[in-house]
Amino acid sequence: MIDDVMIIIENLNKHFRSGDALSKVLKDINLEIRAGECIVLKGVSGSGKTTLLSIMAGLDRPSSGKVLVEGESISKLPDLHISHFRAQKIGMIFQHFNLFDHLTAAENVMIPLIPAGLSMDEVNQKVQKSLKLANISHKTQSTAGRLSGGEKQRVAIARALVSDPAIILCDEPTANLDRDNSLKFIDILGQLHDMGKTIVVATHDPLFDSLPFVSRIIPMEDGSLVSTVPNDTLAES
Amino acid sequence: MNEILLNNQVIVYLLSESILFGLLFIAFVITVGILVGWDFGSYSEQQFRLERRAYLVMTILLFVFTVKFLLLAYFVFAIDSLSLLVPGAMCAAGVISANDYGMLLLFLKLVILFFLLLWMALNRYDLNAKNYPLFRIKSWLFIAIFLVIAIETGIDFAYFGHIDTLEPVNCCSTLYGQLEGANPLPFGLNTMTLLILFYLLYVVVMGAALSSQRILFVAAALLFVFIAYYSVVYFFGTYIYELPTHNCPFCMLQKEYYYVGYLVWGTLFTGTYLGLISSVMEMGLKVEQGRERSVALILLSIFVLLCTAYVAVYYLRNGVFL
Repeated sequence: MIDDVMIIIENLNKHFRSGDALSKVLKDINLEIRAGECIVLKGVSGSGKTTLLSIMAGLDRPSSGKVLVEGESISKLPDLHISHFRAQKIGMIFQHFNLFDHLTAAENVMIPLIPAGLSMDEVNQKVQKSLKLANISHKTQSTAGRLSGGEKQRVAIARALVSDPAIILCDEPTANLDRDNSLKFIDILGQLHDMGKTIVVATHDPLFDSLPFVSRIIPMEDGSLVSTVPNDTLAES
Repeated sequence: MNEILLNNQVIVYLLSESILFGLLFIAFVITVGILVGWDFGSYSEQQFRLERRAYLVMTILLFVFTVKFLLLAYFVFAIDSLSLLVPGAMCAAGVISANDYGMLLLFLKLVILFFLLLWMALNRYDLNAKNYPLFRIKSWLFIAIFLVIAIETGIDFAYFGHIDTLEPVNCCSTLYGQLEGANPLPFGLNTMTLLILFYLLYVVVMGAALSSQRILFVAAALLFVFIAYYSVVYFFGTYIYELPTHNCPFCMLQKEYYYVGYLVWGTLFTGTYLGLISSVMEMGLKVEQGRERSVALILLSIFVLLCTAYVAVYYLRNGVFL
């Protein structure tokens, strides 16, 4: 594992205002994630996991505070630059897969490569490689709408990997999967960890509690990080 | 009530200008507030709020400024349509000289057009950078533009409110001195030297732009737009009208001439302004403006080709020059 710090979060707060009511979703979050590390954010619905993940991905902006990725602050990047950042550095896997049902698996996977301006040959190579990594290459030409939940999730993984990002963010990735498919997903996640990817998983699935490749489990409660629990300590307990 | 203020085009124009001014006023108030508290290095809640507001202001301004371009064309169209109401006026030339505000207003609009393009160029550069490096400069520029637009809006109302529909005006047949026998061209030039200067300056502008001689380009472009104006009114325009005594910058905006005036003046002013702005940006900010300069040169070339084509086509059809 590389010891370089990949993500630094400093004094991060996120508020939503609805009329006069102020809802504090994230409260003074401080966190460092090393390159190649796999961490799990655990917490019940509404604890702020997804919001934190969205801010790390540059999909949302904080109300205050700083997010640094490889030393560069992303919390204030203008739209154009944040899009480039996401395209190059981030792969996201969502609970509901977020695939286009009328497109084939291969077409869904190639979508992140469209702005890169690659030749069709390069795109096809990357797509095939990515589908193979996610163990779904046998469904390349199937439309996403006809795939099972587990297959859809593997297409989503392939899409997240296709631009070879350094960081993989997973938001409740097993919430819509049965146990078998969840275990397959975890298996792929382990392979990604072995490839040196930095992985952050937001979940409340107990399957993630004692995985050997997870370095830290960070419980979240009411918008705050409760404490960081090293995985070996958790496994012992 | 003044009959002019009840004209459909004038109502649409003044209403649009008023709405845009209202939006600009909101943007102005927010901008002043942002400038007071702006500190891009800070990650405080206040600074994030200011950045969101700044983005809102930029969006409003981009919209308003784009509509202002269209409104300039509509302004000319509106005053042209008023020639039916103003005695003696045959086109916008007569209407614009119906009172003392007209020419001032037109001049102000052309000046504002330049600064709108400058703001848009600065804004584009600013948004392409990672840390809004030009935010303060473009905000101060906007404040200056807002003040000028406030004056322009006031003059808009004064101009249309003071057009007398009973008082006859001079129109293009007498306005530019042709009937009085005086030479209307600048520096005592005759038509031939005017044309030589026109094409020579065009070559200098192109050469200076292509060889990155920015100061020469700015000087040549300013002189070119001046000479081009007289060349169109006193030479090329006569081929558009196919009448050697018709020296009017406005009639060519009419339907009878296929609205070609919008293309002629649009390419001249937009091309020159874009060229000037790209040079100013390159000299002041040291940023490459190759695309903007190329667009400017293309527009100026279209302008020169269009003017020349009218003369050539006339000659090919009739075998003589006017």
